[in-house]
Order: sequence, then C-alpha cells, then structure tokens
Amino acid sequence: MKLDQSRPRDTTVAGAPDVAYAHDRTVSASGLSKRFGSREVVADLSFSVARGHAFGLLGPNGSGKTTTVRLLTGLLTPDSGTTRLFGELVSPANADALRRRIGVQTDTSLYETLSARENLRTWGALYGMSRKALSRRIDEVLNVLGLSDRADSLVGELSKGMRQKLAVGRAVIHEPELLFLDEPTAGLDPEASSDLIDYLKQMIRSLDTTVIICTHQLHGLESLCDDIGIIRNGQLLTSGTVDDLLRQKWPKHRYSLTVGGDLQRAQLVVASVTGQDPVVDSDGRLMFSISDERLVPSAVAALVRDDIPVLEVISKRPTIEQFYFATLDEGSNV
Amino acid sequence: MIDRKRAWAVVRKDWIEVSRNKQVVAPLVVIPLLFAAVIPAAVILGGNSGILASTITGLQSFLDNLPSRVVPSGYTAEQTVVYAVIVYFMAPFFLIIPVMIATITASSSFVGEKERRTLEGLLYTPLSNRELVLAKVLGSLIPSVLLTWAAFVVYTLIVNVLGSPVMGGVFFPTWTWAVIVVVLVPSVGFLATCLIVAVSGRSTTMQGAQGSALLLVFPIIALVVSQAAGLMLFDVTIALIAAVVLVAIDIAAFRFIVARFDRERIITRL
Repeated sequence: MKLDQSRPRDTTVAGAPDVAYAHDRTVSASGLSKRFGSREVVADLSFSVARGHAFGLLGPNGSGKTTTVRLLTGLLTPDSGTTRLFGELVSPANADALRRRIGVQTDTSLYETLSARENLRTWGALYGMSRKALSRRIDEVLNVLGLSDRADSLVGELSKGMRQKLAVGRAVIHEPELLFLDEPTAGLDPEASSDLIDYLKQMIRSLDTTVIICTHQLHGLESLCDDIGIIRNGQLLTSGTVDDLLRQKWPKHRYSLTVGGDLQRAQLVVASVTGQDPVVDSDGRLMFSISDERLVPSAVAALVRDDIPVLEVISKRPTIEQFYFATLDEGSNV
Repeated sequence: MIDRKRAWAVVRKDWIEVSRNKQVVAPLVVIPLLFAAVIPAAVILGGNSGILASTITGLQSFLDNLPSRVVPSGYTAEQTVVYAVIVYFMAPFFLIIPVMIATITASSSFVGEKERRTLEGLLYTPLSNRELVLAKVLGSLIPSVLLTWAAFVVYTLIVNVLGSPVMGGVFFPTWTWAVIVVVLVPSVGFLATCLIVAVSGRSTTMQGAQGSALLLVFPIIALVVSQAAGLMLFDVTIALIAAVVLVAIDIAAFRFIVARFDRERIITRL
C-alpha cells in the first residue's frame, strides 16, 4: 500500500505560517507557548500541516507532545500564540464545532465495562452519526482492525494490543478530516503495527485525511509520514518534509555494492567513476557516498565492463530514526 | 444550543456502566428498600408497642410533640402513631433517597471517569460544556428519581396493605406526599447531582466527591430533626415553599456549574 505520489506535495514549514497559502493548511500553529506554573511545557511552537498529509511529531517522553495536541485541539488555551484548524482561528467559542471534524486517540482509557461495539457506538453517537451509518461503520472498523470476533467482548477482557487498536478505531469511527494519534503503535506487535500503518495510509489516500502522529516509536514512519517535526523540552528543534530534512542532514547518498570478483580491483573501478574511495565493510561489501546519484549506474557499467560481476546494489537511505537521534544529539550539544 | 443526541449518548453510556458495577448497584437496591419496605413495615407491625418508639431515634420525641390537628380526628392511639409516622415522620427520609442515589451514581460517572482516565477522551469530542454537564446530571438524576418513585410505589402498597387492618382502609398517599414525590424528589436529586459535578473539578477520588456532596444531606437531616422536635411539620405549604426554593436553586446551580466548568483545570489535574 503506497501513498498517491501524484498528489500535489506541499511542504511543512517551521516558523509562522505563510498567510498566502494558509487556506491549504489543515493545521497552522504559530508561536504557541504554554506554561504550567514556572515550567514552560511548550515554547514558541510553530508549524503547519497541509491537507492530506501525515505529520510526525517526534520527541522523547515529556517533550510536550501531548500538551501540543491539547493546545491544537483547543482543550488548553495557549499563553501566547494561535492555532488555526481548517483555516479557522481556534477559540473557546468554536472549539466544540471544530472538534466535530477531528478524531483524537490518546493514551486515555476506553470504557472497560462496555464492549468494543458499545465503545464505538457511544463515540459515533457523540459525533452525530445516524444509527444506520454507525452500525455499518462499526462493522467496517472492527473488521479492518481485526477485532470482529471480539466485537461483543468487554474492553476489560481485551489484550493491551486489542485495546490500542480499538482506541484508534474509536478515533476514526466518524471518518475525521483531521486525526491526532498519540503513540498509536504502543503495545502492538510488529504485524499489528504494520497493519495499522497500512490502514492509516489507506485512509489518508482515500479520504484525504490529515494525520498528526505523536510518537517516539519510529519504526515504519518513513512509509507514513510526509513531514516530521522533532520536539524536545517543548521546543521544536526542526520540521519539514522527510526528504528535505534527510537531504539537508546527509547531502550525499550512501550505497552498498556487492561484487563477485576481485574486491581491490572493484574498489579502484568504483573510485575512478565516483571519485570516492569505497570502504569494504565486514561482510565484504563496498560502501561509498556520492552527491550525484547518476554516477551509480556508470560505476556498475564500469564494473561489468571489467568482468566484475555485480551481485547487489543497495541505496542506504538514512532513516527517520537516524535523523531523530542525530537531531537530538545536536540539540544536546547546543 | 444543546444537541440532545450527543447528551443522550453519554447518559446511555453512564447507565450501562452503572448497571454493570455491582458496588454501585447494591446500594441502589438496598437504600430504597430500607426506606420503602423495612421501616414502614416495622412501624405498622410494631404499632403502639413502645419498642418501635425506643428503636427509632427521635420517634418518641416526634410523637410527644405532634400537634393534635395534623391527625384526622377519631383515630385511636395506635392509628395516630401509624398515621403520624407514615405520613409525617417518613416524609423527609424520602428526600434522602434521591440524594444518596444521585451521590453514588454521579460520583461514579464523573469523578469515576477521572479515576479511570476516560474523561479526557470525552473532552476531545464535540460535547459542549453545557451538554456534558447536563448529560452527567441527567445520567444520575433520572435513575435516582425513578428509583425513588419505585420506592414510593412500594411504600404506598406496603403501608396500605399492612396498614388497612389498623387504619380501617386506604389512608395513603396525601397531598403533601404528592408534592414531595413529584416536585421535591427531582429537584433535590438535581441539586445533589449538580453538587457532585461541581466538586468533581477539584476532587480526584469518588470518596472525596461523595463526602462533599453528602453535605447536602445535612439540611434534610435538619428537617428530620425539626420534625422530630415538633418545630416544623412537613405539610403541603412547607413542601410547596421548599419546591419553589429548590427549583430556583437548581436553575442557578446548573448555570453556575456550566459557567465555571473549566476543561483546562480538569485536564491538568487528571
């Protein structure tokens, strides 16, 4: 399951949102700050997320992710700064109405003495869904999340992973335009986690849903998030599209090349084409970094011409996880 | 503007939760049964034996101070005791039933949501403050009123069936009781629930909220004591005055709670 690459791609920007394209933004936060007593939980936070994009707000525990969600949804009032949702300035007067278009999954509990179906029915009714539409949607959500056979089990009888899936199901029951997810894959096994991410991608593609996912569990985010922001101690250290951020951080592309012949001769051939001396790793692969990706086919062609069999070429793209730790490390050194 | 569908979704959810919580259901059954069946049966069967008056605190004082005009003329001593206790002495107790039930259900549904960490989820939904407060009040008020009314029906049946041989026929209910049951029971229940919701913003445990809300029982106990001391009898006039005052307090309390409902304070104290 892949995102529709033909969709126009806006970029997520740090700093105050540009008024000229603010109407395309589902979420625009500008200079948000929040203190609890003397502790500044969120400090001058600015970012925006375009419609139909998935934004990963990444940060360690206690970094201010949950407070950010509370501020964005109007549950908390910022000490300074503003939030726009769907182009409207969030205020106590319109927060309830705006929340009709939002789904939120947090670490708050489900109703344990209600069944999975009853939990979803209650939530659907709160969002004004008709009985018939809700009934159909409950079956659909339970089926997608693999919970159909536990539909009438009390939540208290479900495993942690099942509850986690149900919490996500509750947030999406009304097919919201904007979805906030707080650690949605926590407690899920790898297969369930992968299924959930696939479901979210499908939802983004088919409904143009905007998703803000707050997490420090970074596995699998590459395929989901268009944009990310890294937050620590309430401050947004960086934000932007995943591609741009990775390219800025590591301008050169890393490759791994496995050859069947003489390694030393292969090293010389690759160096002559790329201008880089490849390093041989412990598994006997040639590792090299280049700025111009077009040189890779040339290097492969040169190796073949020299009768050196090329068995495998792998693009070693940096991961969000590597970027996350590198950014936090840099932040620590500032 | 209140969206009834949204409010009703919370009410229904609360009822399901309460009905599946044995710790909550048990007192909801025991309290009305005690006041509707056990005490009146004891009064009628005990009659004028003297044991009853010495068993129920305040009853002897109540009988001693009872003005003769409030009991229909021509009653025997035994009939007078039964009539006075069933019609007057028990009246304030029927106001304690909705307060106790509403206190139990409201604290379970509101502070209980805080304890079980489910309240934040509700606050993220489109529920307005007014809808949430109203839903929580109705979710507790309706069962407390219905159970009190059921208790009243049981009470009426028991006192008339068991009392007929002593009283010589049906003698209950009276107009005072009509006002108590129809107007005072809902309005005192409403106030008790409002109080729970009001203290819920500051209370983090059900026990704490219940303790605060039970303060409401004190004025009612004062009513019982004043009856027992013969200072004030719970007649139609007093019941009507109390009803008007309570309804006015209810409206003011609801408006005050909605205006003071602070999501931020609730969320930061979860």
